Amino acid sequence: MMNRFRSALLVIACIAGGHAAMADVVAVVSTRSPVTALSKNQLLDIFLGRANRYPDGTPASPIDQAEGSPLRDEFYIKVAGQTAAQMLAYWSKIIFTGRGQPPPTVSTDAEMKKRIRDNPAAIGYIDRAAVDDSVRIVF
Amino acid sequence: MNPLLRTSIAASALALLAVCYPSRSHADSANSDPPMFVFNAFGTLGVVHSSESQADFVSSESQPDGAGYSQSWSPDVDSRFGAQLTANVTSQLSAVLQLVAEQDFSDRFRPEVEWANIKYQLTPDFDVRIGRINVPLFLVSETRKVGYSNPWIRPPVELYNIDPLTSNDGIDLSYRLHLGEVTSILSGAYGRSYRVDFPLQNSVAVRDFHAVFDRIEYGSALFNLAYLAAHLTQDPAIALFQDFRAFGSAGDAIADRFEFTNKLATAVSVGTSYDPGSWFATGEWAHFNSHSFSGARTAWYLSSGVRIAKFTPFATYSAVTSYPTSNAGLNASTLPANLAGTVAALDAGLNQVLRTVPLQRTESLGARWDFFRNLDLKLQVDHTRLGAGSYGSLTNIQPGFHLGGTVNLFSAAIDFVY
Repeated sequence: MMNRFRSALLVIACIAGGHAAMADVVAVVSTRSPVTALSKNQLLDIFLGRANRYPDGTPASPIDQAEGSPLRDEFYIKVAGQTAAQMLAYWSKIIFTGRGQPPPTVSTDAEMKKRIRDNPAAIGYIDRAAVDDSVRIVF
Repeated sequence: MNPLLRTSIAASALALLAVCYPSRSHADSANSDPPMFVFNAFGTLGVVHSSESQADFVSSESQPDGAGYSQSWSPDVDSRFGAQLTANVTSQLSAVLQLVAEQDFSDRFRPEVEWANIKYQLTPDFDVRIGRINVPLFLVSETRKVGYSNPWIRPPVELYNIDPLTSNDGIDLSYRLHLGEVTSILSGAYGRSYRVDFPLQNSVAVRDFHAVFDRIEYGSALFNLAYLAAHLTQDPAIALFQDFRAFGSAGDAIADRFEFTNKLATAVSVGTSYDPGSWFATGEWAHFNSHSFSGARTAWYLSSGVRIAKFTPFATYSAVTSYPTSNAGLNASTLPANLAGTVAALDAGLNQVLRTVPLQRTESLGARWDFFRNLDLKLQVDHTRLGAGSYGSLTNIQPGFHLGGTVNLFSAAIDFVY
C-alpha cells in the first residue's frame, strides 16, 4: 500500500518534472551484504568489469537489466554518461580482446530482487519504486 | 599442420559451436556463472574512393592493394568479418579463438587466426595468457578491426601503421592494481619466435619479442603507456645491401646501417583519451625505430568528437615523419672511375628504398550514426598531404605518380557487432 502510494507520488513528480518516461533508477544490494554505499566511480568499476570486488574486498557480482530496457539505458546514462550504443561499443572492446563478458541479465525488477536476495555478493539496479525490505540502496 | 588446413579446421569448429550455442548473451540465466561457450561476431562493410589514381591507399601494410590505382571504389580496405568463441572452462581457466576474414597479404579474403589463447586467472587481479595475443601498443590496437568499437572508420593510419608488430605468439602476464579509484593494468609480454607476412612474398621474422604495457583507468579518463622491442629480419633481404658490401668498409657501413637483418627494433607509445559520454577527446604519440632502411618513425594524432543524439561527428589531425629519407651513399670520387656507374646505380637504389618511409599529414572529418541497435553507419573524408619526395603510406606506386602531392579519400562503412 505504502509502495503504491510512493509510486503514485513518483509518477506525479515525474510528470511535474517533465520526465514522465524516466524512472528513478537506484543501485541495490542484498540487506545481508556488508556494503552500505558506493561512489559513482566504484559502482562504474564494478559494472564495467574493472573491479570484481567491493571496496571492502568482498566479491562483487553485478547483474544487468535486459538489453533495450529503459531502466538499463537510464542507469548507464546516470552512472557512466553513456548511451546504449556507447556501452555496446565499450563491451565490444572487452569481448573482442577476450577480457570478459558483460554481466548476466534479468528481465524484471522482481527477478532482480530475487537474484539479489539469493546472493549477498550480487549488485543490481531497479526502479526506486520497486525497492522493498529485501534490498538496500547503495547509490 | 599446414596453416590453411588449421584455419579451416578452426573455422569449422567455430561454425559448429556457433550452431550448437546460438545464444551469445547470459539472458535470464539462472545463476551468475558465465556459460561454458559464448559466441560473438563483428564486421564491417566499407568502401573507399581515392583521388589518387596512380597509387593505392591501404589501411594496413599487410594489404597488397586498395583504393586508387587498383580499384576506384575499393571494398577491400575496410571490409572484414570476425567471429569469436570464448570457452569458460572453469572460473579460472578460459580460452578465446577469434577468426577474422579480410583482404590478406596474398589478396585473398579468408579467415585467419587473430586471437587464439588460453587464459589462467591466478588471482582475481593476476592472469597469464599463452597463445596468439594482440599487442596493445596503442589505445585501440587490440580492437582496431572492430569498427563498431571505434568512432572513426579506421584508426589514424599514420600512427597505427607505424609498427608492423600487431600480434605476438607467446605469453603475457597481466596484473591489475587498484589505487583508490584508479585502476592500473600492468602487463608484460614475451614471444620467442614467429613470422609476420606481408604482400609480395615479403615477411618479417620476429625473435625475442618483449614488451611492457600499462593501462590506467580513472573514471572517464584512460592512459596507455607501452614499450616493445624485438629482433626483426626481413625476408627476403634486399639484394642491394650485399652489393654495397663489395665496396670495403664504406660499403659495409651502409649495409650494416640499413640492412633489415636481425635488427633490434623498438617502439614506445603514450596515449590518452577522455570520454565523459557527450563528447570525447583522444590523442596518442609514438616512436618506432627499426634501425634499418625502414627508418625511425614518429607519429601522433589528436581527435575529438561530440555526441548529438545518435550522431557523433568527429575531427582528427594526424601526422607521421620518418628519417632518414635519403643518404649520400658511397663517395664515387674515392673509387676507380670504371666503378662510377655501378656506384651511382647503388646509391640511386638505396635512395629509392629510403623513399618508401612514410611522411604525411592528414586532416579527417567524419560522422558516426548509430542508426540501429548493434549497427552504425560512418562517413569520413581524409585530406592527406604527402611529405616532400615521399609516397606517404601509399602502395602500388605507378610510373605516373607525382611525389609529395595531396590525396583525398572518401570512405563509407557499416559496422555491426553481435
